[in-house]
Amino acid sequence: MTTAIGKIVKSNTHIDYVCQVYGPGELVIQPLPTDYAFGEFVAIELSGNGGSSGALIGVIYNTLLLNPEFGSLGPRLSPRGEQEIFTPDYLSETATLVGIVALGWQEIGGSFRQGVPGLAADVDAPVRRLNDDELCAFHLDGAGRLSLRYASVLMGMNNPLVPQLLLTLIDRLVTLFPEQSRQLQVMRNNVAWKSIVQPAG
Amino acid sequence: MTHQTGIGTVKGPGETPHEYTFIAPDPERRVKHGEFVYYAAVVDGVEKEILGRVTGREPVRIFPDSFMADPAVPPDTVAALLGYDSDARELFQITVTVLGFYDEILKDFVNPRVPPAGGAPVFIAEDKMLTSVLSRGRKGERGSAYIGDLLSRGPGAVPVALNVKGFTSTHLAIIASTGSGKSYLAGVLLEELMMPYNRAAVLIIDPHGEYDTLQQMQNLPEFREGNYKPGVRIFRPDDLRVRISSLTLGDLRYLLPNLSEKMHYQLGRAYTFAQRTWGEDKYTLEQLKQAVRETAEGKRGAEEEFEDDPTTGALIWRLGASLGGGKIFNDFENLELAELFRPGMATIVQLNEVDRREQQVIAATLLRRVYQARVDTEKGKASRGDRNFVPFPVFCLLEEAHNYAPANADAVSSEVLKTILSEGRKFGVSVGLISQRPGKLDSDVLSQCMTQCIMRITNPIDQNRIAESVESVGRDLLMELPSLSKGQVIVTGASVNTPVMLKVRTRYTEHGGQDIDAPELWRKWFEGKGLAEQRDGALFAEKKLNRDEDGELWA
Repeated sequence: MTTAIGKIVKSNTHIDYVCQVYGPGELVIQPLPTDYAFGEFVAIELSGNGGSSGALIGVIYNTLLLNPEFGSLGPRLSPRGEQEIFTPDYLSETATLVGIVALGWQEIGGSFRQGVPGLAADVDAPVRRLNDDELCAFHLDGAGRLSLRYASVLMGMNNPLVPQLLLTLIDRLVTLFPEQSRQLQVMRNNVAWKSIVQPAG
Repeated sequence: MTHQTGIGTVKGPGETPHEYTFIAPDPERRVKHGEFVYYAAVVDGVEKEILGRVTGREPVRIFPDSFMADPAVPPDTVAALLGYDSDARELFQITVTVLGFYDEILKDFVNPRVPPAGGAPVFIAEDKMLTSVLSRGRKGERGSAYIGDLLSRGPGAVPVALNVKGFTSTHLAIIASTGSGKSYLAGVLLEELMMPYNRAAVLIIDPHGEYDTLQQMQNLPEFREGNYKPGVRIFRPDDLRVRISSLTLGDLRYLLPNLSEKMHYQLGRAYTFAQRTWGEDKYTLEQLKQAVRETAEGKRGAEEEFEDDPTTGALIWRLGASLGGGKIFNDFENLELAELFRPGMATIVQLNEVDRREQQVIAATLLRRVYQARVDTEKGKASRGDRNFVPFPVFCLLEEAHNYAPANADAVSSEVLKTILSEGRKFGVSVGLISQRPGKLDSDVLSQCMTQCIMRITNPIDQNRIAESVESVGRDLLMELPSLSKGQVIVTGASVNTPVMLKVRTRYTEHGGQDIDAPELWRKWFEGKGLAEQRDGALFAEKKLNRDEDGELWA
C-alpha cells in the first residue's frame, strides 16, 4: 500500500524539490510524521499527455515548517480556538515542507533507474512514500546487483545533512540487503570516518 | 586454485617497477615487515601465485592526534562517543617488493614484470607454500642444513633449510656484531653439517676456543644413524705442529719481524738454496740457518766466521727467535691432512693463546696445504697413500675472519683465502668466514662469499661494507639490521631462494661462546672456599700495627 504524503510546490534545482505535506482536512488518511521522515524514499508522480509518465524517485533530506504567524507578536482579534471557525484560510497557511532530492526515476513500464532524471516534476505533482518492495527494486541494477549510483549526486550537494542522510540510507539498506552488508559496511565506515572522526580531529 | 580470505586489496604500482602497494585494515597485525604475501595472476595462460615481501607499512587512516590527548582514554572510545562505533578503525598502505612466482624447473623465482591489477586481493602466503619455495633445502634431507624458522611466523611453522651444496661451493659469511649469536649460528650450521644426512669434512679455525662443546655431538642420539656417528677432533695450541719446511717464503718474511731490504733478499736466496739443497719440504731450522750463512754476500770460505756480517747475523737471530722458541714450528712434525680431514669429522684447531701473526701463518699454511692437496687430487697428481691425497671436498670455517683477511693491512693468509674464494669451487674447497667487523674485512673476500648470514649490525661503517659487498641484500633488509634481536638472522645468497629473516634454531650441543658471569662468580667466591683460603693463606703480621690519631694503620 502506498501512502500519499503531499504535493510539489516548488523546486530549487532540476533535482531538488520542495513538497508540501498534506495538512488536516486535505486527505481522508492523514500522513503520519514517520511517512515523511528524514531519509524516507518517495515517488513524485509525473503527468504526461493524458496519463502517468512514470515517477521521479527521491529521498527526503530536509524538513521546513512554514508559519506566517511567527513573528506577529501583536494582539489577536479572536482566540486560536475560534480561528478554525472564523478564519480557516489563515490556519491553512501553516504548512510542513519537506525537501526532496530526486535520485532516479521509474519508467512507465515500472522499471527503476538511478541517476539524474531527464524529466522534471510539475507543480502540484503528488508525492507518495515508496514501500519496501519498490525500494528494493529501485536499488537493484539491470543485473540484479545492489546499486547506489546516486551516492555521487548526494555527496555533491554540499549540504551538512548529506553524510547523516547517507548513513541513514545505508543502515536501511543493510536490513533490506543483508547479503550485501559487507559492501555497505565499507561504505558506511568510510562516510562515518569522514563525517564523524575526521572533522572532530 | 582455492585461496584463503584476502588480507588486503591491491592499490597500484609502487615507486619502483618491482614494487606494488596494497591497502589492508589488518586489525590482527598480521602484515609484518618482512612478511610474505602473494596475489594471483595469469602468466602464460596459467594462474600463478606471485610472491612478494612486505617492505613498508604506513597508515592511511588513523585516529586524529587530538583523540589521543589522554593516555587513559583509548581513541576508539572517543570515536565511539561521537558515533563512530565501527571496528574498522585503521587502514594501512603496505608496500611489497615482488619476488615472483616459483618456477619448479628453474628452481628460482621469476618476476612476471607486470604489476598486479588494482583491486586484486592479496593473501598472506601459507606456511606450507613458504616452506616449499623459500629454502633450497628441506629440513632433515640430504644436502640441507636446517638452521631456523622464518621470523614472521610461529616457531617451527616455516623451517628454513640452506642448500649445503650452495655454500660449500660458493662459500659462506656470517656477519654479526658481538653478542648477536654468530658463534651460536655457526654451531648450528656445524651441527647440521655433521648430521647423518650430511657427514661433512670440516675444519674450524677457532681463535677463542669456544667450539669444543661440539664434542657432545659424538654422544647425542640426533647425530647417529646406523654405524655413523660424527667425529670431533680438537687440536689445542699445545698439539699444533707446523713443519718449518712447509712454510713458504712469504710466511717466513711475515713471521720474521722488521726485515730490511737486504734481509728480504738474503732470506729469499737462502730459501731457494735450502729447497734446492735438501729438497722441498725436507729441511730443518738448522739447515735453513745454514742456508742463510751459505748465501751471505761476499762469502769467503767455509771456515770463516760469517756471523760478523750484520745481515746474516740478524737473519739467523730472527729465525731462531721466531721459529726456534715455541712448540708450534717444528723441524719434523706436521699436522697431517689425513688427521685433519675425514668425512663425518669436525676438526677444531684452537688458536687461543697463540700470537696473532702465528695464527695467521698457521691458518694460511693449513688452507694452502688443503687447497694444494685438493688441486693435486683432482688433477690426479696425488693418489692414495700420498700425504696430500684428499679425495673429498672440505669446508673450512674461520672465526674472526677479519684477522685472516684484513681490509687495510697485509696478512699472509689473505692471498690463500682469496685464491680459495675464487678458485676453490672447482676443487671442492670452501670457506665459511665469521666476522664481527665486516668493515675490517677485505671487501673482495666478503663479496666472494655467495651465501651470507647477517645478524644485528649497528655500526654504520659495517653496514656500508655489507651494502657494498653483498649485492643480494636489498635496502629494505639493510634497514632491518640494527633492529634484529639476538639469534635473528638474515640469510641471503646462493643457499636460499630469496633473502629470508629467520630465528636460529636451538642447538643440540651446548653453546661454548657464552660470556663469563662476573657478579655470579664474585658472589661464589664468598660462598665457597675462596675467602677461607685467603684468610688461611694470609701472612702473619711481623710487627704490631698501631693506629695514629686519624685511624690510619702504621707499622
